[in-house]
Amino acid sequence: MPEPAVEIRNVVKRYDGHTAVRGLSLTVPKGAVYGILGPNGAGKTTTIRMVLDIIEPDEGTIDVLGMPNNAPGAIDRVGYLPEERGLYRRMQVRRVLRFLAELKGIGRREADRRIDGWLERLGLRTAERDWGNAKVDDLSRGMQQKIQFIGALLHDPELLILDEPFSGLDPINAQTLQDIVIELRRSGKTILFCTHMMGSAERLCDSVCIIARGEKLIDGPVAKVREEHGGRRVALELADGRVNGVAAVLADRTLVSKVDDANRIFDIELAPGADAQLLLRRLVESGANIARFEMAQASLHRIFVERVGAVSSAEEENINA
Amino acid sequence: MRKLLVVTAREYLERVRTRWFIIATVFGPIIIGLLLFVPPWLTSRNTASANLARIVILDATGTNLGNRIAAELNGGLGGDTSLTEVRAVPPARLAEAESLATRQTVAKSTRGYLVLDSNTIAGRSARYAGTNATSSADMDAISRVVRDEVVAMRLERAGLDPFQSAALANMHLDLDAERITDRGRGASARVSIFFAFGVAMLLYISLIMYGQAVLRGVIEEKQTRVAEVVVSSVSPIKLLGGKVLGVGAVGLTQMVIWIGVGFTLMKVRAQVLGHYGVRITPINIPDISIGAALLLLAFFVLGYTFYAALFAMVGATVSNEQDAQQAQMPVVMLLVVSVFALAPVLSAPESKLAYTMGWLPFSSPIIMPLRMSVVSLETFDIVIALVALACSCYIAVVLAARVYRTGLLMYGKRPALREVVRWMRRSH
Repeated sequence: MPEPAVEIRNVVKRYDGHTAVRGLSLTVPKGAVYGILGPNGAGKTTTIRMVLDIIEPDEGTIDVLGMPNNAPGAIDRVGYLPEERGLYRRMQVRRVLRFLAELKGIGRREADRRIDGWLERLGLRTAERDWGNAKVDDLSRGMQQKIQFIGALLHDPELLILDEPFSGLDPINAQTLQDIVIELRRSGKTILFCTHMMGSAERLCDSVCIIARGEKLIDGPVAKVREEHGGRRVALELADGRVNGVAAVLADRTLVSKVDDANRIFDIELAPGADAQLLLRRLVESGANIARFEMAQASLHRIFVERVGAVSSAEEENINA
Repeated sequence: MRKLLVVTAREYLERVRTRWFIIATVFGPIIIGLLLFVPPWLTSRNTASANLARIVILDATGTNLGNRIAAELNGGLGGDTSLTEVRAVPPARLAEAESLATRQTVAKSTRGYLVLDSNTIAGRSARYAGTNATSSADMDAISRVVRDEVVAMRLERAGLDPFQSAALANMHLDLDAERITDRGRGASARVSIFFAFGVAMLLYISLIMYGQAVLRGVIEEKQTRVAEVVVSSVSPIKLLGGKVLGVGAVGLTQMVIWIGVGFTLMKVRAQVLGHYGVRITPINIPDISIGAALLLLAFFVLGYTFYAALFAMVGATVSNEQDAQQAQMPVVMLLVVSVFALAPVLSAPESKLAYTMGWLPFSSPIIMPLRMSVVSLETFDIVIALVALACSCYIAVVLAARVYRTGLLMYGKRPALREVVRWMRRSH
């Protein structure tokens, strides 16, 4: 197995009064798009800041690209787009980008060449107008986001860390960013990103890790996570509102362990060992007018809601007890 | 090291490029120039007018006093007295003569008229009325001439020959000259006090100005959130170091320009003013040895670092300029206390207060240069001050770095002092 891009081992980070990250371990394979998913306050940003050596963990170790993350030069191979975005507002765009590149060890000339390339590619440098010469303040929000993104990529990092990359982006910019992420992955780069938006995670990620309250709940390749943790599901849609017989069938706990009822559409989780074909037969026998009966895998969204919700309610019970 | 340089270069170049820097750097010398050139020029405008002699003298003394004064006003014996018209007037007709002279003055055919009567001979008073009566320089010149001539005439009347009496009467001219040298000596003492005070104020202003520039820089990075990107490439300590160095370099650049221009202007001042016919006593800048200059620089650099660290610490704990205004008060107060001590220290540079304020690290960068410029200090005195300042500087920088590292990525509510102290205790 090739060395992982990021290896986090038993990392703990305590702040005054609370523990942000508790004993977190995870491995980001090289060349993967890896998503850290979690609700707000789950410890995602803290984890990422520790990976980037912005803050130090109280316990545990972190390796980045095969070396300890505080080793000289390790972080220079990483690009970072933080959730809280911002640039020096009174600085000229080109100078900001040059500054960010120089911090990563790129020479001035090479930096300028790359800056022009990226500005052109993202439509910020055209025959009519070169936004590179404008002040950051004169740029629209969307343009500033693009500049920030360029800043994270200028040094051609092997590992790109994106914290909530799509928040606040309009659909066009979000698509641009997504395209670039996919292209980077194709060229063998590793992308680690944090989000609580499951849709984008599901589309982009090869592997995910769901964390809540600073702890890892699930991790692994997306397909495996869905298979193992989503349970077997059936989407059922009725053609009319006659549901009397159906309700009785769905109440059978040997067949069905859980049902989400949205009037005529049911999201059914099969009981362990239950046969979907048997369920279908029973439904037909009950006189249901079936419009759709479909075997489905759980979405990350559902897994997320269920697992994170379970943690929350367990915690509440603890508090009540 | 390379990253530190990149940060320092950005801080320096971005600040030097701002309009504010250019304005301040250009206006500094302009203000210095105005201070050096305008007052002497204004004074010169105020010196006796060239055509002071274009007046009428109404001489009701029955002596030749009027003619003597006319001659003196026109450059002494042999002077061209055609400008000055002397009218011998009997005392009874003086009022009539005065009203005529008044009309002539109003009609601008003369600048004014001088009335000499028995009171003048008695050494009590003379009267002048004219368009230039408000010019104190003109009045001084006329009254001096009148006084000289009255004294000379009275001496002559007392039996001295005209040459002797002229010599005696003019004696006070020599006295005047002596007073100038006297003032020259006094002035040099005053110049050194002025210089010491100037240096101390310059230090105070620059400590506060550049300290606050560091503070605003920290807040800007927090407010715009750019800090997070930057610290993902460079450690907070280097970011802080680069900021302090960059702003400090801006400060030095500005001071070098100001002091350089100031010295040059001071040197060419006499020449330039002389070219326009204005004569001045040259200001002798106290001689500064290389050693003293280096000490001055050391106090500035250490003092700046000390205060920059404190201001950066404040900046790291706040999220906006309004909070910063409040939070920086304790630091600003330390500087203000030093300024309040300036006058007492200046009047007694070897008092207990002077020693104490000279050794305390928060006031030594301002007080020591002040003391150095007025008295020569013992070596131990300077060493104690420097060592105390250097140690405090180190502690301030370490603590500031710790607060900065934690505070930089904290937004929102201002932390309590207790919390900040906890940040200081965390060594990693």
